[in-house]
Amino acid sequence: MDTITTATKMNSEEIFNLMKQFITEVIGEEFVEEMDITPESSFTKDLEMDSIEIVSFSEKIKAHFGDQIDFTGWLSEMDLDQLINLNLGMIISYIETCQS
Amino acid sequence: MPILKINDREVHIQELNKAAAETVILVHGMFSNLSVYYFSIAPILATQFHVVLYDLKSHGMSEKTLHGYDLNSMTDDLLALMEALNLKKVHLGGYSFGGLIALKMATRFPERIKKLAVIEAPDPSDEKARGIIDEYSREFLEHYVENFTDTTKVKMGKRQMEKNHRMYEYLFYQTSIKQDMINEQDFFGAGGLTRVPHETFLLYGWFSNCLDAGKLLNKKIKNSRLLAIEGDHNIPIQHPQQVADELLIFFKQP
Repeated sequence: MDTITTATKMNSEEIFNLMKQFITEVIGEEFVEEMDITPESSFTKDLEMDSIEIVSFSEKIKAHFGDQIDFTGWLSEMDLDQLINLNLGMIISYIETCQS
Repeated sequence: MPILKINDREVHIQELNKAAAETVILVHGMFSNLSVYYFSIAPILATQFHVVLYDLKSHGMSEKTLHGYDLNSMTDDLLALMEALNLKKVHLGGYSFGGLIALKMATRFPERIKKLAVIEAPDPSDEKARGIIDEYSREFLEHYVENFTDTTKVKMGKRQMEKNHRMYEYLFYQTSIKQDMINEQDFFGAGGLTRVPHETFLLYGWFSNCLDAGKLLNKKIKNSRLLAIEGDHNIPIQHPQQVADELLIFFKQP
């Protein structure tokens, strides 16, 4: 069972590094090594994450930030095109907004 | 990651709005996983209900297992999940193969179900519906992916292709899933469905090759209503909002 960590306010670089860590945990280091992950990387096209991997990634965000952010709620408001085009930068901005 | 030990295997579950008074359990289809509900349908139902999603054995992030894909074993697993979560009576919904599991649950443990929603359950006696299991090959997967791409607009990359290929190979050639499904071909004809007492909602796509199965269920289940909406077998992916809204209205009605 994941534990909920109360996060202190993070800047965008720290959030980016945390997201990279979560992605590595979900898809495995051997695949991440071959990728150039940037804030522009999209989940489905660039990172090739499927929906169950995005569930796993969402769980990690929830476990880390707790009630501070409603990541699944935010995703649920997107239509299919928005989900397909979702990139790391958008998540970083969303988390920053929730922290402010 | 929430993992429960059910019938000696690890099962990945997700729960939303645990504080709600009533529970809805949603069962996904074959070769799929709980994410078919997680991002869009479950959050809408969770505005009113405690929602429980789980990955079937060897699917998503649940443990792999070689045997037990028949509807009795699948419903034993679901009952054990309800016991583990201390759920006495729930609303139950299932999509595709998950719809068959939901129907079987209603015939075996009617007292544990409040209302029943069946989305795009195929008739197991229909050879076309079972054909997917007989025809698997790498070419089949590539063809499937091309069609899948048409409906979801996502091009599957190399890693995903390999991952899916491994899952299909495992399920088709190593587990008993193929034979277990063939053994279920009399499920619609066996008579049990005519005794389903629950208020039942049958949701199908207008252009689905499973729509006839929905019509047949509508005849067999006395207290059932059939609704066909725009789309084909993939309606939860094509129209998640509409599917969720219809389910919410159905489960909410007193």
